[in-house]
Amino acid sequence: MENKDAWEWEISSGTKWFQWRLSEIWHYKDLLLRLVRRDLIANYKQTLLGPFWVFLQPVLTTLVYYLIFGRIVKVSTSGIPPILFYLSGILFWGYFSDCLNGTMYTFLQNANVFSKVYFPRLIVPLSSVISHTVRTVIQLLLFIFIYQYYFSQGGITGSYYILLTPVLLLITAGFGLGAGLIVSVLTARYRDLDYTLQFLLRLFMFATPVVYPASIVPEQYQILFWLNPLTAVIETFRAGFFSNEPVYILHLLFSCVEVLLLILVGITLFKKQELKVMDVI
Amino acid sequence: MIAIKAENISKSYRLGTISAGRLREDIRHWLKKQPVEDHLVWALKDVSFEVNQGEVMGFIGNNGAGKSTLLKIISRIAAPTSGRVFGKGRVASLLEVGSGFHGELSGRENIFLNGNILGMKKREIQACFDEIVAFSGVEQFIDTPVKRYSSGMYMRLAFAVAAHLNPEILVVDEVLAVGDVEFQRKCLGKMKEISGRKGKTVLFVSHNTQALLNLCDRVITLHKGQLIDEGKPAEVIGSYLKNLQSDYLYQEYDTPDAAPGNDYIRIKKVSLQYDTELFDIRTPFIIRFECWYADRDPGSLIAGIHLFNMAGECIFDVASKGTSLQPGLISGECRIPGNFLNNGAYYLSIVFVKDTTTRLFYFEGCLSFNVEDYRENTAWFGKWMGYVRPDFPVILNQQDVV
Repeated sequence: MENKDAWEWEISSGTKWFQWRLSEIWHYKDLLLRLVRRDLIANYKQTLLGPFWVFLQPVLTTLVYYLIFGRIVKVSTSGIPPILFYLSGILFWGYFSDCLNGTMYTFLQNANVFSKVYFPRLIVPLSSVISHTVRTVIQLLLFIFIYQYYFSQGGITGSYYILLTPVLLLITAGFGLGAGLIVSVLTARYRDLDYTLQFLLRLFMFATPVVYPASIVPEQYQILFWLNPLTAVIETFRAGFFSNEPVYILHLLFSCVEVLLLILVGITLFKKQELKVMDVI
Repeated sequence: MIAIKAENISKSYRLGTISAGRLREDIRHWLKKQPVEDHLVWALKDVSFEVNQGEVMGFIGNNGAGKSTLLKIISRIAAPTSGRVFGKGRVASLLEVGSGFHGELSGRENIFLNGNILGMKKREIQACFDEIVAFSGVEQFIDTPVKRYSSGMYMRLAFAVAAHLNPEILVVDEVLAVGDVEFQRKCLGKMKEISGRKGKTVLFVSHNTQALLNLCDRVITLHKGQLIDEGKPAEVIGSYLKNLQSDYLYQEYDTPDAAPGNDYIRIKKVSLQYDTELFDIRTPFIIRFECWYADRDPGSLIAGIHLFNMAGECIFDVASKGTSLQPGLISGECRIPGNFLNNGAYYLSIVFVKDTTTRLFYFEGCLSFNVEDYRENTAWFGKWMGYVRPDFPVILNQQDVV
């Protein structure tokens, strides 16, 4: 029985880079779904309006932006009905920041459970992303409902690029998850990063075409502006639903590559550090 | 067949708080690739052992001996600093009950949530769902959010889920130390049932030597992170208790840095003193302690002493009055009269509480001692019953002569 191959598992000091063990996550899929369910149920318990908050949040924000940026500051929406313009930006921005915020505190918020039970830690950020996806898809239905109203009034047309929407959602979630995983490891070690990041995140929203179209960004900043993966996502979404030319397919591909790299770095760092981080929390 | 094989596992922790110093150390560590040796504490050092399949292995040791760290490594919660563990079979660990319970969710939801967290599949939980509910005895409230449960109901539900885990290897920490006597008995019974099942390997840490004697096939003693004894439960526990007794009538530390404690309280000295040659049931004794008190926001401080017998049952719990003390050196004492304790082995813990609610520091098992027997005018030498042995006069009178 001393034959090493006969052992089913091994625990050692060093975790290797790229040892992701994704098959294990499959084994724990019940837990993944259970956590998604917990998030969705527990979040709206003891609130008066319950699940309606899913709609209310983006609607209220849209109205505020409409008043401030549409009526007072009068920022261009490149001919798109302002309500839909802001709602589309808010949808994707909200999705991204929810995914990021949901994953960046993985260690800090779950320190209790993590120090007592083993399960693949990646389950927790994944479950958070999935529950935010559910919320965003519901919000997207609201968007389509309003869109359909404007569509029947005439004046706006869509294009086949609408079909890219699932891909756009994937890129957004991937961006939030990848960045969140990296940040989760860092904030667990150095708590003050947290404050800095929340501040940066607020700034970052204004570097994303949420309340203005990409076309109003001055020429010399365009390259910097398109480095943000969300720029291509939101612009492509608007291009799809409002036939807004031009369509930035190359930029979108570049965003894909960026996000894939980020996820790769994120998961690798997360898996490598998941046990070590618990020693310092 | 061997189920778990541990080879030279060691684990070190870095002392100190998280601050800018940490970042500097981390960077220095990356740049020079040299380990930061200054503040390392070894929780485990070169521990190797094997556990056979179907065996119940107990771990015993003082606080800080490394038992919990060892279980954490085997449960994959902490990574060893060096060394390896090999194993066969699915591991489930029970280092606390009710992990991941969510107050807003119903009992039913929490059974599934907790079960999933412990590694059970939905199917498995559904299969024994009714059994879990019956065992917990909270049928009526199964659809009530658990935040409305009493703490007893909460614990029962949590343990009910854990008791229905069915892994090949079960790792159990002192889960049994919580709850009332009735609950503990139920848990022990269930533990016995689990370990009795065929082929089930159990690793079990406890302070309760009776439980270890009852449940284990083999016991390992850990002392300051090292394995010092291994073998049959009765022998290992016997020699553990013997060593414990001679070791701990006295502890003293020169500097606050070396002393046990935390930022609020550090122990300078604890001692147990008596005047006679031999410590027997007639001997009065004094428990004394001195400590460095460094609470930046001092409040009303209470010092309490908990005395336990070696089965881990509390004999008494006494406490001082709340006293306003300033940071600095503080001391205290408690005089225990003679003719009070029965003979046997005891250990005691000292607790410091601020403003009646905040526990500043619990110095667990800091002293231990043995009270020898003493009898006169009796020909009976069986074990004298009872936790205490007071010298209350029992008067026998002749009322009438027939």
